[in-house]
Amino acid sequence: MSSVPCHVACVMDGNGRWAAQRSLPRSAGHQAAEAAVIDVIEAAHAGGVQWLSLYAFSTENWRRPCDEVDHLMWLVRRTLRKHALALHARGIRCRFLGVGDPRIPPTLTRDITDLMELTRDNKRMTLTVAFDHGGRRDIVEAARSLIRDRVPAEDVTEANFAGHLPHPDTPDVDLVIRTSGEQRISNFMLWQVAYAEWVFPEVLWPDFRAAHFWECLTAYRQRRRRFGDVTVPATTDEG
Amino acid sequence: MSDTTATAGSHATAASGEPATPDSALLGPHSLLHGYCNDARWGLAVVRATVLEAAHPQIGAALLDNSTFVAHPWRRLRNTLTSTQRILDADTGVRDREVSRLNRMHARISGDDAQGRPYNAMDPEARAWVVATLFESTLTMSRLSGESLDGPTMEQLYAEFRAFLALLEGDADHLPLTLRQFWPYFDDMLARGLENTEAIRVILFRLFAQVPPPPLLRGRPAVWAVGRTVAGPVAAAVIMASLPESFRRQAGLGDLPGAQALSRGVHLGSGVATRLLPQSWTRTDTLMGILDPAPGQGSGAAAGALAALNRRRSQAAALFRLLTPDPEDAGSGGPAARSADRFFAEVLDQTGDGHLDWPDLAAMAREIATRLDLGERDETRLYDAYADWWRELLGALDADGDGRITRQEYAATAASLAGPALIKVAEVLFDVADSDGDQSIDAAEYRTLFRRAFERDLAGADPDAGGRYSRGEFVREFLAFMSGQRPSNAYDALLAQS
Repeated sequence: MSSVPCHVACVMDGNGRWAAQRSLPRSAGHQAAEAAVIDVIEAAHAGGVQWLSLYAFSTENWRRPCDEVDHLMWLVRRTLRKHALALHARGIRCRFLGVGDPRIPPTLTRDITDLMELTRDNKRMTLTVAFDHGGRRDIVEAARSLIRDRVPAEDVTEANFAGHLPHPDTPDVDLVIRTSGEQRISNFMLWQVAYAEWVFPEVLWPDFRAAHFWECLTAYRQRRRRFGDVTVPATTDEG
Repeated sequence: MSDTTATAGSHATAASGEPATPDSALLGPHSLLHGYCNDARWGLAVVRATVLEAAHPQIGAALLDNSTFVAHPWRRLRNTLTSTQRILDADTGVRDREVSRLNRMHARISGDDAQGRPYNAMDPEARAWVVATLFESTLTMSRLSGESLDGPTMEQLYAEFRAFLALLEGDADHLPLTLRQFWPYFDDMLARGLENTEAIRVILFRLFAQVPPPPLLRGRPAVWAVGRTVAGPVAAAVIMASLPESFRRQAGLGDLPGAQALSRGVHLGSGVATRLLPQSWTRTDTLMGILDPAPGQGSGAAAGALAALNRRRSQAAALFRLLTPDPEDAGSGGPAARSADRFFAEVLDQTGDGHLDWPDLAAMAREIATRLDLGERDETRLYDAYADWWRELLGALDADGDGRITRQEYAATAASLAGPALIKVAEVLFDVADSDGDQSIDAAEYRTLFRRAFERDLAGADPDAGGRYSRGEFVREFLAFMSGQRPSNAYDALLAQS
């Protein structure tokens, strides 16, 4: 099945609105997001997606109220510990993108390091969690790293620039799913989404389930088919 | 076992009959001692020997006053292991360097015990007893774990231990020349030379009951506490039951029902494990590596296999940490500033006796000097800086003038800890840690000092610096830590954690 996208990314949007619709505190929305995360990981794993990226927390999210941030940190940690073994057992390699802010509690940093260490030899699927991530910051970091390595300006190509990004083996994103109908990039993996297809399902992230995920994959496949119509001679086309 | 030359050597010495200084060629990577030192079981023998040593009045007093083994047993264990391995190194240069370092260290340890009798860590008779107890404990450990040594092997081992003493002392005259003469000496020491010292009790009852978690389990005090309530008394009983009968009687150590069988069982089990498990699992450094993981440690032997093993091990450790319950799960954010009390107990009171005096600061200097493997000049500078700091502290904090600082005296004036003498300590520490003298601490130098890689919470202050510490940053960091204002993972690993 070559039509399965190699790298799918999800911008998990709508937790706050989900909670507001139910007159619950925002933190309840984040808590409800856990089920969606696990469902999507399962679906991607079962569907043969090789790379799955989740946008959990952006560098801009630090501006949110202190309580919410604290709760989110606690929640990430709890979720991570709860599912560590299951992820490992499924052969999922877990990575974190970002995680550079000193405000992240050291206990969480340690668990993140432990999870990466535990699963680093797994091959079935790579799960990248963009946590405290900023697309521009990664690009700036790559530029710094190039300068530090004293690479002459004329030698800088797209390929070797990409080699200085964090986790350079990550392929380009094929499909980005942004839930809750919002249609923005929000500084997410800017370099890697250059050629990505975007879908914007209306469902809020806490309600997002495997079935929605399949719909998005189908939408992606159809777009590809139309894209193919342009290049492939019309004779092979069925309709 | 390629020890034919060594055996021949010992026979030659015995045959000549004269107390020739034992040949240090007996030591080295092919010696029996080297084999024991790499065998994790030897830990049992070392702890047992420490109990016997502690019964020697001079050694007991020195241990009580100066040793960090109660408060920081794991660190102490690692240092002992490193030191022994260096002495058994193939390169005589490494050996000589370690021996002179040990001798300088011991030369700094002297004083009076509770009854006013002087003790001195350089006392040749006491040092001979240390080696004697190690030898006898090694034999006992072998015997109890089901592999008694035959006559020639015992002779050879004895010769190696004498060579060990000779390396430290310059001669081995305080240990009998032959194994046959050793036993009367040992029995005589048991009968007359030992006392029922405080140190024995501290080791058997306090150390085992209160041993702090090894670095692996530091984040899991609850898990460790539960394990320790079971393992502590068992370990004490195992060690106690392996001691000579006459010694137990004299020291008034009770005989628990079943302790003998338990001790035999544990020893036998460890012997069987050593024979059945892959050799790399039961090596001392593997075990230490699990308990006290040190990143970037490059030991030359079988590096590839060891790296693979390390990887599995670190994955297992990661899994373990992720699966065990965590008391901080309740969602406490960030490290709170350490309370003055905790700082006193964890950092300042190195010997764990409840007050701050010179041996505590000397222990800090000793730890740093050991880590950095300092030469005599740098070591002296470091000790001098610490001694100046001690005088400064005493002047500022010792309200009742009894020559030591209690917890209360410390709590009353904790702020004045960061005086000029402490800044001097920080500067000297920077100088000696900056081994290439380029006025900055780079990643390799940092790793030597702290046994860990640069960390975000430290280097994070200035990510553009490219992972270097300037003198100013280093001094600031040290002062912030030493004045108890700010916890630091790196300094915790160096001075606080065991």
